[in-house]
Parts: sequence; structure tokens; C-alpha cells
Amino acid sequence: MVPLGYYLILAAGLFAVGALGAILRRNALIVLMSLELMLNAANLTLVAFARAHHDMRGHVLAFLVIAVAAAEAAVGLAIVVGVFRTRKTVAVDEINEMKF
Amino acid sequence: MSRILALLVPLLATAPALAGGQPPRATIEFGAPSMWGNPAFWVFLVLAAGSLGLAIFTITRRNAVMAVVGLVGSFFCLAGIYVLLYAHFLAVMQILVYAGAIMVLFVFVIMVLGREESEPWALRSLFTKVVGVCALFLLGYVVLRLVPTPALAAKGGAPPTSFGTVGAFGDVLFKEYLFPFEAVSLLLLLAVIGAIVIARGKRAPRAEDAPAPGAPKESR
Amino acid sequence: MHEIGYLHLIPLLPLLGAAINLILGKRLPRPVVHFVACGVVFAAATLALNAVFGDLYPLWKAGRAGVPAVSQTVYTWLHAGDFTLNLRLVVDPLAGVMILVVTIVGFFIHVYSMGYMAHEPDYPRFFGYLNLFTGSMLILVLGDSLPVMFVGWEGVGLCSYLLIGFWYQKDHNAFCGRKAFIVNRIGDFGFLLGMFLCFVTADTLSLAELRDKADLFRTVAWLGMPIAFWVGLLLFVGACGKSAQLPLYVWLPDAMAGPTPVSALIHAATMVTAGVYLVARMNFIYILSPAVMAVVALVGAVTALYAATMGFAQNDFKKVLAYSTISQLGFMFAAVGVGAFSAGIFHLYTHAFFKACLFLCAGSVMHAMGDRGDIREMGGLRRRTPITHWTFLLSTIAIAGIVPWSGFFSKGAILAGAFGAENPAFHAVGMVVWVLLLAAALCTAFYMFRLYYLVFSGECRADEHTKAHLHESPPAMTIPLMVLAGGAVVGGLIGITMVPRIDLVSRWLAPVFGTGPGAAGAHHLSLGTELGLEALALVIAGAGIGIAWRLYHNGYSDLVKALVLSLRWAHKVVFNKYYVDELYDLLLVRPLRGLAVLCHRVLDAFVIDLVIVNGSAWAVDFLGRGAKRLQSGDVQRYLVAILVGVAGIVFFASRPSASFTAPRQARVGAPWQADASPLLRSGRELTFAWDFDGKGKFEALGARPAPHTFAKPGKHRVTLKVCDRRFGSSACRETVQKVEVTP
Repeated sequence: MVPLGYYLILAAGLFAVGALGAILRRNALIVLMSLELMLNAANLTLVAFARAHHDMRGHVLAFLVIAVAAAEAAVGLAIVVGVFRTRKTVAVDEINEMKF
Repeated sequence: MSRILALLVPLLATAPALAGGQPPRATIEFGAPSMWGNPAFWVFLVLAAGSLGLAIFTITRRNAVMAVVGLVGSFFCLAGIYVLLYAHFLAVMQILVYAGAIMVLFVFVIMVLGREESEPWALRSLFTKVVGVCALFLLGYVVLRLVPTPALAAKGGAPPTSFGTVGAFGDVLFKEYLFPFEAVSLLLLLAVIGAIVIARGKRAPRAEDAPAPGAPKESR
Repeated sequence: MHEIGYLHLIPLLPLLGAAINLILGKRLPRPVVHFVACGVVFAAATLALNAVFGDLYPLWKAGRAGVPAVSQTVYTWLHAGDFTLNLRLVVDPLAGVMILVVTIVGFFIHVYSMGYMAHEPDYPRFFGYLNLFTGSMLILVLGDSLPVMFVGWEGVGLCSYLLIGFWYQKDHNAFCGRKAFIVNRIGDFGFLLGMFLCFVTADTLSLAELRDKADLFRTVAWLGMPIAFWVGLLLFVGACGKSAQLPLYVWLPDAMAGPTPVSALIHAATMVTAGVYLVARMNFIYILSPAVMAVVALVGAVTALYAATMGFAQNDFKKVLAYSTISQLGFMFAAVGVGAFSAGIFHLYTHAFFKACLFLCAGSVMHAMGDRGDIREMGGLRRRTPITHWTFLLSTIAIAGIVPWSGFFSKGAILAGAFGAENPAFHAVGMVVWVLLLAAALCTAFYMFRLYYLVFSGECRADEHTKAHLHESPPAMTIPLMVLAGGAVVGGLIGITMVPRIDLVSRWLAPVFGTGPGAAGAHHLSLGTELGLEALALVIAGAGIGIAWRLYHNGYSDLVKALVLSLRWAHKVVFNKYYVDELYDLLLVRPLRGLAVLCHRVLDAFVIDLVIVNGSAWAVDFLGRGAKRLQSGDVQRYLVAILVGVAGIVFFASRPSASFTAPRQARVGAPWQADASPLLRSGRELTFAWDFDGKGKFEALGARPAPHTFAKPGKHRVTLKVCDRRFGSSACRETVQKVEVTP
């Protein structure tokens, strides 16, 4: 079997890539994909710990995360479409009207 | 290319933290050198490299469709890792829901919007983002080096034969997690309605849109 | 003490009338407002008559020990610890006289007001205030404890203020109302302090209980004087403010800015006599301190003469009457000051009739003159306003003190009381007061007849338009005049002091004022002496009238002009009211105004407005301008903030914590055990270093070191340093506990 630590390192790496994408990309669609990556990293830790502790509850939590991610993706994409309709752009650093 | 390297810095930075210093005694096992003879370990390495590499590929693409393709590939690799972890059902879900449903949704939206960016990187307020990267670095260091305690140590040996099967999964889901399950179903319903409301936008009512009295309702 | 159930209605009915007229009055037709206003006072008068003659008189006649009184405990007002204060109303002979005067005179003035205010559009407010005043005055009179009296005291002060400034559209009237209010506040301060002193001394505020504990006020002393002196002095300050005595009289002449019925009811007949009532009510305290009695008597007598002289040179009809009121109040205070309490109350009662009548006559005359009150423009009104003329003449004779008009008897009683007074603190006080009052009586007769002649006899000095407009007032005004004039003529017959058997006033009030050292008053004078004194008073009054007739019977005579010319200087001083207003302005108003301006400029404008108010706003604005940059609208920056926050929380939460349990006290040589082992449950690799006595030498002894023994007694510091090896030496935490070591 593969030791737990390797899975955790992989999850941390995926999370870091997702976070960097979310921070640094302009395209709102790619930011949303980065969020999906971060959620998947979290899922990976859940599944890895479930395997290490022989506990199925980790799987259930990961499953619920997938469901929530689907909801999030649906709403997020709808917002992107809505914003694009009025602003003709999906660049997140140009959509900054909600401020002082 | 230099940017890609810059992205890798925090990842590389976690490596010496793992390797250096005194190794913690009762935390997370990284296995013995004999691991290298284990074929499952080689499979893991391939899948891990694939998922991480495809993730990096995803966030560096200028073309959004390419990014989606990369992300789908990354999710396939993750599904393979889930199989290694005896999470067969979740592996199937990962492919069906993520690679199948969610990513198709992304593709549809990309087709609707369909335009390539001139400048893919959001480099405004770069200092803030450098701070964010440093925070990420610190977080990785703390999580991997300091949080693990003996309480997290893995149980040895193979899991029970039913582990990860649909039956065992349903057992836990419908006995212990029935309420969250139902709550999530409600959340999904709301998300569907919300997505329709937001994405449809306001349309000026036109005269011909108004259904004639008695006429059957037009389905959308 | 006899309980009856309807006493509360006596003040409540006028208050109810006030509520109706003030709240609904504008929507009610004029006759309804009139009916309500007069009806409630009439009902109160009926109840008061029933209380006095139906319930109190049999008790008084039975003549049992103690003060005959009927009372009603309405409810418990305050209850705090051992202290209970009931809203309790009492009618004893003294309060009986007062409620009759207030309700009966008050009723006629209400009736008069219907005619006087016939052209006033805002009449519901007027009648509402008038009813409110009547109710407050009745509370003041009926109250059985100082706080209840104070409620009434403040109520009448408020109504006085409201009614002086009734025509507040004119600045002058509003200023006059304010002046009355402020001067009264000074007096109220004295009243309050006196009340507090009573409470501190006797632990009670109920008049009946204070009377029972009166001995305390003689035995307890402060600054060499018995407490009775201080209480009496403070309450007298209150009385001075309310009753316009020196030096707080200045508001009363200006109070004439109010409508004339108000001047008659509040500033002549009832409210201003509240001070006299207060002193008479507290007689059991005053007789304990001859010194304070002397003060009261002298202040009263000096005020009586001083105010009377000011009547010589005034040209405003109502102002002359106002100074006359101050002077007559001085007579009353002189009376209670020399111990002739019943004479003071007797004069209060007769004064209520004749002075109310005089004021109402003034109102009637001014009504006829088109609201002008300058007596230089009057004259010869005898023929045009016959009823007013006759009632005014009768009242003037009464105030001058001609037998058998009421003023003769009451003033005679006061003079006799002063003549026969004995005051152990100041032996000559009786004679001094007597001489001063005699002089004041001369002045009174003179200035009142001067007023009478200038207004009613001679030729009319008014312009043609006013002359054509002269007319007698309507019956609503003349009937009260006749009734009050009747009271002024015969009202004194109930108190013929020369013959004790028919001196009903003294006998009626005797249970209240008792037979204390000062209370005997005139009664130890022989009949001959007393008749001599009365004759002297009569001669004096006659002299005053004679001088007035000589100088003014046909308008301003040449002799007057010559006198004014030769006594220019004195005339100017008197005409300007001795420059007292100017003196107060210089000594009090200007310095206080300066202080107020200083406070306004420095404290208010700079410290409060600029520094505190605007400064805090500026600070918030400045911080907000900085903080708003955090909200950039850029979601990616928000994401960075979340990352930083999460990293920080995780980082700090993952560091080790330090704590240990140990007894706070130890003995020298005895083992003392410290324990930090619960920390090991965190699953971390921790090292524990201990330092005893704060020497700075840490020893790695483990989580649960072997029991320690302290060598020396005193306070010791025990420090534990906890380190997590994975953090290196930089991530250690320390905790200190102090141990008290006893030998």
C-alpha cells in the first residue's frame, strides 16, 4: 500500500495549484475551475484518511462535497453568464464595482 | 515559462520542510525504501504526476477549452487514485459528476461566451498576491509539518472487504447522513432555480410573447 | 384623625377640568369650556364647604386633645426600605381656611374670567391653566407631607409661569414669566434643602410625624443653632421666593404682565400667600427657634414698609396693586414672625377678598380703557363705571383699615400681636416690627387712596377715542366684584380680636397653633391697650387717606408737582423702584451671563462641538478613508485575505500552550507538587522546563516534576516553559504562578 503522507502531499499540491489559479487568473471560468481543483484536493484528503482509518464516513463527506460543488458550479457559471451579458467581459479584475 | 516555475515555488518549498529537520516520531509514515518495488506505488506515482501536471496545465492555458480538457484529465487521474484508495464508488462519481456533468457545463458556457483573452494573468495589485502566495506557503508548511499528531496515524493492514463498495457507502449515507443528504438535494434544487433566474436575465416583454388567451402554454 | 372618602376629589376635579380644557378645549364650544372650568371649581368649593363645616366642624366642636382634622390616604406614593410616603390629604382648621379661600375666591375669579376673556381666541388654554392652578394650589394646601406640598408648590409655580406668559407672542410677557420662574427656583431650592434637613433630622417627611418629633429639632444643633433655626430659615427662603418678600420680591411686579384675573387669583389672593401658609403650617418648628422667628418678622415688616413706599410713584394701575400685595404679604409674615399665626392667616383671608376685588376692578377699568393701565390717562371714571367704582372704593377702605371693614380687624390683630410680642432672642423685635408696620399702614392708606382718586375722581385725562369707548363691564365681571367687595366689607367681623369670645378666627385656629410661647399673641394685652392700639391704627389710616385726598382728590394737584420737583432725587429713586432690578442685574445677572458666555464659547463651542463632536467625526472619517481601501471590489484580493487569515489561524493554533495546576499556598519544607501532564494529551512532542523562585535557571524536569520544597517563606514565582521540538527553540510558551509560602 501507498503511505498516507504521499496522498496528503499530492492533495496539498493540488490545493496550492488551485489557489494560485484562483488568485492569479483573469478569466472567471478558469477561476471557477481552480475552485473545483481546490475542492478536489480536499476530497482527496477525505478519501485518503478514510482509507487510513477504515472509516466510510470520509467517502460520504466527499460525496456531499461533490454535490455541493455541482451546485456551486451551476450558480457560479450562471453568474458569469449574467455578468458577461451586461459587462461584455469575464475578467475578474475588471468586475470590481462592488466597493466603497 | 518562468511564470510556471514561479507557480511551482511554493510546491517546491514544502519539500525541504518534509525532508529536513528531525523527523517527527509518531506522525505520518512515508514508508520504507522497499516501497519502490511495489507496483501499486508506481501506479500512484504516475497518477499523482498526471493529476498535478494536468492541474498546472489547466491553470496556465490561454484557451479555456484546453483548460477544461486538462481539468477533465486531472479528474480522471484523481478517480484512479480513488480506486487505489478503495473508493470505487467515489471514483465512479468523480467521473460521472465531475468529468461528465460539471465539465460539460463549463464547456457549454465557454461556447456561449467563446472569446480568448489578450492577457490571461491578473497581475494587478501584485504585492497583495505575493503576500497570498507566501501565506499559502506558510499554510503548507504548518499543515504538513506541525498539524499531524499520533492521533492521525493510520491503521495498518488492508480494510474490510466491503470497504468502499456501493453497499457499504449507502449504508453510511442513508443511516448516518440522511439529513445532510436531503439537505444537499434541496440545495441542488435551489441551485438549479437560482442558476436559471440569474442566467436568464431580464427580458423586455414583447407583444408577441404574450400568449393568446386560451392558447396552450409554450414550453421553453 | 377622621377618615373621609371624598377629599381627593377636591384637587382632582379642577385637575380633571384642566385636562378636559387643555386636551379637548379647542373642539368644544365656548359655553362648554366655561361650564367645565367654573363647574369643577364650584364642585370643589361645595366639597370643601362640606369637608369644613360638615365633617371638620363637629370634630373641632368636640374639642378633644390634638388637632381636629379629617384626612384621606389616597395611596402609597413611595415605599423604599423603612421609608414610606403616602399621598395623604388632610383638612385641619388651617387647611380648611385655605381651601375655602382658594375655592370660593377662585370660583368668583373663574366667573369673572368668562367676561374678561370674552374676546380671547385661546380661551381653553387660559381656563385649563386656571383649573390646573386651582388643583395644584389645593394639593399644596391639603398635602400632609412636605413632598406632597412640594408637588403643589411646584405646580402653582408652573401655572404662574404659564399664565404670566399667557400672551407669549409678546417677548416682554415671556421674559416676565421666565423671571418669575427663575426667582421662584431660588426659593424652591431653599424649600428642598429645608425638606432634606427635616428628613435627615427626623427620618420622616409627614407633617403629623414631624410635629410629634418636634423635640428633635430643638435638641439637635448645628453651628451653635438648633436645627429648627436652619429648617425654619431654609423653608423661609422658599416662602420668600413664593411670597415675594425681600430680597426675592422682584418677580411679582413683572408678573402683572399676565391677564388680570391671573394677577387677582395667583399673584394676590392665593399662590403668593403659600409662603405664609408654609410658615404657619410649620409653626411647630418655628416656635422652637426665636431667632428664626425674629428673622421672619423683620423681613416681613421691612418688606411691608419698603414695598408700600414704592407704591407712591408707580403709574401703572396693576403695578401699584402688585407692590401693595408685596406689602400686605409683609404684614402677614410679620404676623407669623411675631407668633401671631392666627392674625397672619386672618389677614391672608381678608386680603384674599379685598385684593382680589381690587385686581378685578383694575381688570374692569382696563377693560373699559381698552387694555391700558396707565393711571395718568385715567380719572373721573366714577360716573362711567359705577359698579367698579363702588366695589373698588369699598375694597380700598378695607385695605386702608377703616372700621368695620375687614382690613381693620386683621391689620389690627397683627399690630396688636407685634406690640405684645415677646422674643427671647431679640427683645425689641416686637416694637421694631410694630413701628415699621404702623408706618407701612400709613403708606398703604396713602397710596391706595392716591390710586383711587387718580382713577375715579377728578376729570378724565384720556384721549377722546378712549373716552367715547368707556363702558361698564358685563355682569359676569361685575357680579364677582360685588360678591368679593361684600366679603371685603364684612369678612372681618369673624375675627374681632378685642373680644376673645367672638374672635372666631383665633378660636378656630387655636388647635393648630396651640398655646406655645409665641402663640398667645395679643391675648395678654389688656382690653384698654388693645383699644388704644386700634384707635391709633385708625388715626394713622385716616391720616394717610387725608394726605391722599389733599394731594390727589382732583387729579394731580399743583402741590404734587411742587413736591416731586423739590424731592426730585428721592422721587427718582422711588420711581425706579430703588434700582433693585439694576442692582441684581449688575451683581447676579451680568456675572452669570458672562460665565454662561464663557461656557458657551469655550466648553460648548470649542471642547464639545469642535473637539468631541467634530473631532470624533473627523477621526471616524479618517479611519474610514483608510479602511475603505480594504474593500477593493477585487475578489482575488479577498481570496488572498482569506488565505492569509486561514494560514494565521492555523499557524497560531498549532503552537503549544502552557499551563499547569499547583496549590497556591505552600509551607516551608513541605512538599509542593506542580503538574502539567494534561498538556501531553495534545499528542505533541513537548518538553517541559521548570524554574522555581524566579531565578531564571530552567531545569528539564518533565511534565510532572518531583515534589518541590521551598526553603524560604514569602512569595515565590514558579515558571513553566513548554516547547514543541518541531518548532525549534523559538516556539516556547511560558506561564507563571505565584506561590505564597508560609513558615
